[in-house]
Order: sequence, then structure tokens, then C-alpha cells
Amino acid sequence: MLDLAAQVRRALEAQGFQVVQTRQGNENPSFDDRSATANAQRGAVFVTLHIASTGLPGTVRVYVNSDLPAVTEANGLIPWDRAQAPFLGLSQKFGDLVQGMLAQRFKGSPDNARTAAVRQLRTTAAPAIAVEISSVVVEDRTALDRMAPGVADAIARGVAAFKPSYVIPAGPGALP
Amino acid sequence: MTPRWKVGLIGGLIIAVVAAAIYFPILRRRVKRAARLQQQSEEQARRELTQPVTINPGDPRVKTKLFWGSDTDDSTLVPVTVELPLSNDPVLRSKQVLNTLFAGPVDADLRTLPPDAVLLELYILPDGTAVADFSEALATSIPSGIVSEQLAVDSIARTLEANVPQVQRLKILIHGQEMETLAGHLDLTGTFIVNTKPAQTPPKPGNR
Repeated sequence: MLDLAAQVRRALEAQGFQVVQTRQGNENPSFDDRSATANAQRGAVFVTLHIASTGLPGTVRVYVNSDLPAVTEANGLIPWDRAQAPFLGLSQKFGDLVQGMLAQRFKGSPDNARTAAVRQLRTTAAPAIAVEISSVVVEDRTALDRMAPGVADAIARGVAAFKPSYVIPAGPGALP
Repeated sequence: MTPRWKVGLIGGLIIAVVAAAIYFPILRRRVKRAARLQQQSEEQARRELTQPVTINPGDPRVKTKLFWGSDTDDSTLVPVTVELPLSNDPVLRSKQVLNTLFAGPVDADLRTLPPDAVLLELYILPDGTAVADFSEALATSIPSGIVSEQLAVDSIARTLEANVPQVQRLKILIHGQEMETLAGHLDLTGTFIVNTKPAQTPPKPGNR
């Protein structure tokens, strides 16, 4: 997984983006720790990478968080446990762009991002997607090694395509 | 202290260290095993306390939609219609359809739920939220990944939606506990929407 993350990082940096990884090694930060890292950035997008042992082999799916009730506190702050709510529209657009890039490379992948209650996305206050590669057996890394460059390139191109439509909130508490 | 005593003391200490090095891993294995057995016996006791929900042949037979995996696209669900005698009581009816769902399709490849997972208990709150408590196998035996975890929850939610109109939302517990995720990905802290329509009474036999 870290090898895949490193390839995604290089592809994004080649497009001129700054990349912050939520983990560098085998440590296992909590969902909230990872979200805290992402939420501390300004104008960021969040991509969480996953490998599934099920699903059509050689395909890649992008997920955005299912609908969350958009609640803003009276002080204008977004509740932590629903931090993704104001960004759902942007996440869907971002997810569709990345999924479109992936579908061009990996036949059988869907054309549009799907929605799912992905825990990691819920507390992330940024356009956020989960990318899941199917289907890779842990003992056999060759399938993942073959797919990784294409996945990394598609994500980087998707982020680049999304950038012009990402309007950063104007001030504290303002929603995109 | 004489050199002889020193040698004896050091020798004794070395023997103690070697004995501890051998014994501690054995002790750790025993403790882990005891913890595992205790966990299993707790689940066993819970299962024994749970009254088995049997299908009463006297109940009216209704066309029941069960959602299992598709044989053409393994990331989607398809309804399979079977005729089952189902109770009109929504709690009993929910248990009956979910137990049938967990029993699995004829083709095991179309399973969306682990074969060793069972429904331990189910309640329906006055607001239409079904609280379903499943055995730990639902979380531990399911292939980890968004697609498999989503299919598992969707198959439960869609089956309830199709057969128990009183259920509006679904809350999943594992072994009586609220879990953060099902198997590392899917969020179990909230509820899943089952039915957006207002609660209705179950359709009469033959109307489905």
C-alpha cells in the first residue's frame, strides 16, 4: 500500500501539487488522526487508498461519502463528526473526475463515483474520495504492481482536472 | 561473598532468566487462548439465549424478495423472490427474512454475508429504526474492503425495505456493541436508510 501511495505522491508532485501523507510507515493512525492531518490543510483534497480482495479483478472504484445531514453550529463551525457534509457536492464532482480517468485505463470500472458510508471520509473537511482497487490477493503483489502506475496517474490527472472548480471557502465557517 | 557463591548465584540467575524466557511465551499463549475461549463461550451463551426464529407454516405465504450478489456484476445486488410463510409482526417478520438471507443463496458465490454470521437479536424502535445485533463473524469473516462491506449492509437493508415496510432505518450492532466500522471501512456509527416512505402495514398475502 505504501508503494502505491508513493507512486500517487510522485504523480501528484509531477503535476505541481504538494502532498501530505497521513502515514509514512507501518504505523496505524486512527480515522480521526488522519482526518485531523487533512483538516489542518487549506485548499486540500483528500484521497484514501484501499485494496480489496473482492470485486472484478483489474478494476478500480471511487467512493464518496453517502448523504450526511448538513449541520452548522450557531458559531459557524462544522461539527467534527459530520465534517464532510458541506463538501459532498465537491467530493462527488472530484470523485466523478477521478473515476472517469480510471475507467479509461481499467476496463470494467464504473464511469461515475459511487456513494458509501466510508468512515474515513465522514470526518474530513475537504473534497474527499476513497479509491479501492479490486481485486488483489495479498500474497500476490504482481497484480497491484501492474495497476499502480495507472492508478497513480489517473488520480493525479483527476486532481488537476478538479482544481479549477475547487473554490476555497472565503472565511472561517463559510461553506463552499 | 566467596567466588564459589558468586558463581552459584550467577548460575541460579541465568537459570531463572532462561526458565522465564521459556515459560512466558507459554503463559501468554494460555492467557490468549483463555480469552478466546471466554469470548466464544459468551457468544455461545448469547446464541442460546436467543430464541430461534422458526418459520410458522401456518403464517400466510408471501412473495419475499431477498437481495444477494449478482452473478454478472459482483458489486451489485439482485432480488431473488421466494415464497415464505411470514409473520405479520414486523419484528418477527424481520428476523424471519434476515435469517433466510443469512442462510444464503443456492449458489454460495453469490453470498453477501459470511456463512458463520447470525442475527442475534432485532428490535424496532417506535421511530422505525430497526436495531439489529449480529454475531462477531459478520465483522471478522467478511472480506475487508468497501465493496464487500457495502454489499453486506445493502443486502440487509434492501431485504428489510422490500419485506418489512415498518422499518425506516437500520442500526447495526456487533455482538451487542456499537462498532466504528464493519471491517475497517464502512461506517457503523450511524443508521442506514432503509425506507424513505412513511411506515405502512405489511401487505396482505397475495398482494406482493
